[in-house]
Amino acid sequence: MKNYVRPGMSPGDIVSKIRSLDGVMLTCTGMRDAGQSDFKNRHRIHDLAKLAPYYEKMNLFSSECHGGARWHVGIMNRRESPFKEIEILRETMPSVLLQTLIRETNLWGYRPYPKNVIEYVVKEVDIDVWRCFSFLNDIRNMRSVAEVVMKRERLFQPAISFTQADWTTNEYYLGCVDDIVDLCAGTDEIILCIKDMAGVGSPARIRSLVDAIKQKYPDLVVQYHRHATDGLALPALLASAEAGAQIIDVEEDSLTRFYGQAPILGVQAFLEESGIKVHLDREQTELAVQKVREWIGHYEWAESPFKGFDHTVTSHKMPGGAFPSSFEQAGKGGFLHLMPDILRIMSLYNKIVKYFDVTPGSQITWVTCSGIVNMYAKEGGESGVKHITGLLTKFVEGKKQDMSAMSKEEQKELLTLFRKAPGDFKNLLLGGYGKLPMGWPDEWVYQSAFGDEWKEMMAKRKELSPLDSLEDDDLNRISAELTDHLERAPTEEEFILYLMHPKDALLMVDFVEKYGEAPLVLPTDVWREGLKNPGDKVDFDLWGKPYTIELASVGAEHEGHIHVVMRVNNKTRVYSVDTPRAKKVEIRIASGKNEISAPINGNVWRIGNPRRGALKIGDIVHKGEEIANLEAMKMENAILSPYDGHVEEICVKLNASVVEKQLLFVLKKT
Amino acid sequence: MGRKNSKIEKILIANRGVTAVRIMHTCRDRKIPTTAVYSTPDRLSLHVMVGDSAVHIGEAPPAESYLNMEKMIEAALTSGANAIHPGWGFLAENAKFAKMVTDSGLIWVGPSSEVIKSMGDKIEAKKIAVRANVPTIPGITDVTDIDQIKAWMKNDAVAFPVFIKAAAGGGGKGMVKVESEQELSTALNQARSEAKKSFGNDKLLAEKYIEKGRHIEVQIVADQHGDTFHLFERECTLQRRNQKIIEEAPSPSIGDNIRKEICFTATRLMREIGYATAGTVEFIFDSSTNNFYFLEVNTRLQVEHGITELITGMDIVGLMLDAAEGKKFSFKQEDIVPNRWALEVRINAEDPRTFSPSFGPISRLQIPQGPGVRISPGVYEGADIPPYYDSLFMLMMTAGPNRDSAIRTMDRILSRNLRIEGIKTLAPLLLSIIRHEAFKKGEFSTRFIEDHMDELVSMFKEKDSEDEVLKIAKFVAEISALGPQGWM
Repeated sequence: MKNYVRPGMSPGDIVSKIRSLDGVMLTCTGMRDAGQSDFKNRHRIHDLAKLAPYYEKMNLFSSECHGGARWHVGIMNRRESPFKEIEILRETMPSVLLQTLIRETNLWGYRPYPKNVIEYVVKEVDIDVWRCFSFLNDIRNMRSVAEVVMKRERLFQPAISFTQADWTTNEYYLGCVDDIVDLCAGTDEIILCIKDMAGVGSPARIRSLVDAIKQKYPDLVVQYHRHATDGLALPALLASAEAGAQIIDVEEDSLTRFYGQAPILGVQAFLEESGIKVHLDREQTELAVQKVREWIGHYEWAESPFKGFDHTVTSHKMPGGAFPSSFEQAGKGGFLHLMPDILRIMSLYNKIVKYFDVTPGSQITWVTCSGIVNMYAKEGGESGVKHITGLLTKFVEGKKQDMSAMSKEEQKELLTLFRKAPGDFKNLLLGGYGKLPMGWPDEWVYQSAFGDEWKEMMAKRKELSPLDSLEDDDLNRISAELTDHLERAPTEEEFILYLMHPKDALLMVDFVEKYGEAPLVLPTDVWREGLKNPGDKVDFDLWGKPYTIELASVGAEHEGHIHVVMRVNNKTRVYSVDTPRAKKVEIRIASGKNEISAPINGNVWRIGNPRRGALKIGDIVHKGEEIANLEAMKMENAILSPYDGHVEEICVKLNASVVEKQLLFVLKKT
Repeated sequence: MGRKNSKIEKILIANRGVTAVRIMHTCRDRKIPTTAVYSTPDRLSLHVMVGDSAVHIGEAPPAESYLNMEKMIEAALTSGANAIHPGWGFLAENAKFAKMVTDSGLIWVGPSSEVIKSMGDKIEAKKIAVRANVPTIPGITDVTDIDQIKAWMKNDAVAFPVFIKAAAGGGGKGMVKVESEQELSTALNQARSEAKKSFGNDKLLAEKYIEKGRHIEVQIVADQHGDTFHLFERECTLQRRNQKIIEEAPSPSIGDNIRKEICFTATRLMREIGYATAGTVEFIFDSSTNNFYFLEVNTRLQVEHGITELITGMDIVGLMLDAAEGKKFSFKQEDIVPNRWALEVRINAEDPRTFSPSFGPISRLQIPQGPGVRISPGVYEGADIPPYYDSLFMLMMTAGPNRDSAIRTMDRILSRNLRIEGIKTLAPLLLSIIRHEAFKKGEFSTRFIEDHMDELVSMFKEKDSEDEVLKIAKFVAEISALGPQGWM
């Protein structure tokens, strides 16, 4: 069976194909959201690529394999380039549409990027289906992404962020859809996604929403993306399909835990029994589900410590994709026991400041709420936490957020609640991310966040989209900055990684220079644990040739070093591994202005010059005057003062060996 | 100069590394036992292993070991050697040492003390060349201050750049190129200081700098019976910081007429001097005018002698031993018929981008083999490159019926067969050079490397899978030792 939709088809052709189908197609999230929601995005492309030959024949609508937090975790934790991943998947499943998830102006990062960065980045990434969402449902913010994607003849998939609350009515969502249809000039070249990122849509609510959209826009193809957190995924998916959704998101049964998508085989069986045709090659799908079992055991360590479905998600609304990372942070921070209270505070908080809990909103919620709980826990222990929960419950649920109904004492406390909230929260209140879906929060929130300056800050609020308010970044300057860091011209891909996550991109490039393709070729057990016993080996192919690394022995630690003996293609090699106890000799590298560095490795045989003798701190030197001389292999290298100045610091001793770039002098310019 | 008809029973090689090993190879061919000498850090060096016996001559600094003349002679006497070969560098062109050797009753494998002395002084050598009707570069001698240089440049209408050189110099040390008047003073000081440090003599001269000049030298061998022959020329134009890094024979920049002229001129000069061993006459060839000028006489075996051996089939070290023993050469000039093209690259322990020295243990050394290859090694796998001496640790030569074929073979060994780990080497730069179109066409000058550095660096070899797999192995080693990492 040939796939109904394939890379290279125009967006219009893809949309007409789906419209013409009776029944539903599936997007498999096995390569992205499944891993993000239950395995902290740690699934390695080395394992995921093994599924690709099956995907190739499953007749999927698409494979969601890219974007969201997978990009950042890829460079930070797996050391995999998102570009390399696409390259591998293009090769192993050429007939499958590759899908990404993008956060409108935030792209794959956590801050709003100016228009020129968005345009630059989006045109460089080889993805077929661009699902784009806004945590504020501020459709204006999607404009730049939409323009570039549609101009490239790739499929733009605007998403409306869904949650179930008293203010998220059909009417509200139809308003969002209107904006989308306007932005995209109709319904013929887009697919609308309902993004139920927390898994909170009840079957009846979803049926009603899809129905309302299809009533108003009968030709609009609707895709339902839903997490399984509340335990009601299957009936909700059925409800969406019965109401007219034509694509739904699923994952391999063997990957499902609690916070990702529903199981692909189960969904197919359930929908078909209910009379809805599912276009899917069942046989290939079963093989893919089976294949997962070969490697999924390597990721047990990455699973969330918080297990089981959680219907209370309908009030705290933590998105599936944030579950494992939030619990990981709580575990690392030593406040796992406070999680029930944090979730409770979240469910009250989201009634005070209304937006959608999805990146970057979910991070703002998380940091703000976990911060409040931690602050009270630190000051008052268990009873402190109980106190703030009680106070907020009374205010939000008891008094319906009527500040005047609270006592003076309570008011005072509420008015400092957000004082220590993160900068991103404050930026959100000022409109830095765009317009809030239900308008600005109440004034007391500003008083609470900004204290005495609250009125001035409120006056600074802006309603513009960041696309219109942010100044373009100077790409040449950023590229020059990266060139400085790398000491060579960056590749296009390195530059984009750097634009998204500057610090982690540098670590990643460093890692790749040091360890090459280790992240791509090593099987997961060796990647994570190494070789354990003498004689253990790992076989792999690199660039068309076979290699074997075999462990001969691991020595005992001695003064911060461990010797590891390995046989690499039969040749014995000894590696000295520094343990965290290894002593580091600190060498100061010149970096700032006024700092004079050694141009080569060598020996400082003279400080100063023969005419004036040795230099001392405070001495005045003239431009072009020799201030030191390095000798390396019998050649002299004069270090000349680059400007008139005086010696602030002499950072090396006479006859010391110095390395290239080592700091020699601090010379203050006069 | 050795006594006539004296036989070498055992020979001390007053050198280290590549040089010492090269000489020991010929000695071994002739079953002449050798004495190696070593400084403290060289105790386990390759030349110590290759020699038949070895003597410790002092600490790391050259002045205390390889330049220590008394120790050297004492080592020869105590180890039962009756001859000393100085190799190149260190004491090779030291007239005082040559005299001490012969005064001690030992055979000196090299030119006489007097010849070394007169040729070693560039000013003196230039005078002799002028007398012998050999063209020389315009310049002045006995430079002591910059006004002298300025006056000369004005009178003779010489424009920058000019060269300031140590009168006693060689090997690129004590040679400073001056681009402008502002640089004169610093350059003069540097040349003087380097001259003093390297040669113990701060006499300087200044010369016109021949732009895009080509460096051509003629190999001479002579015995003590007046037979003086040339073994044709070598091209040594490719230099960095005035040190040669690629040499070839024959020269691609001259035709047969110039070749004949330059070789005869060199032979005539050396005959005039009364030269009696192997030596080289260096010329700078101005390809725009087809003129060549005398530069200097190198009164020693040279690093690049191997390519001449490859094209002529002669063993120059063997001829030096013959000459020192007073034997008469058994061939004539017309017997020497080069029929190969040979190329040599110097594998220096240096960063190929910055030329800053790289030292430490060579953790892996895979030496290339295959048709058309000659390797002259100075180290073995596991050996240590100490920071105290010259960075050259291996020579690689290739030969073929023509230039293209010699270059192809060199490309093969540099790009595929050679593996050196633990230190940085010039190999990537050398490969870029021989792959460069200008090099292939033979169109280059002494400034080629500085003019094309960025381009050459950009041509550095793409990654190879063997390097890559070692990175992966390093990762596996670290994780095997340390377990899962916090960042994972």
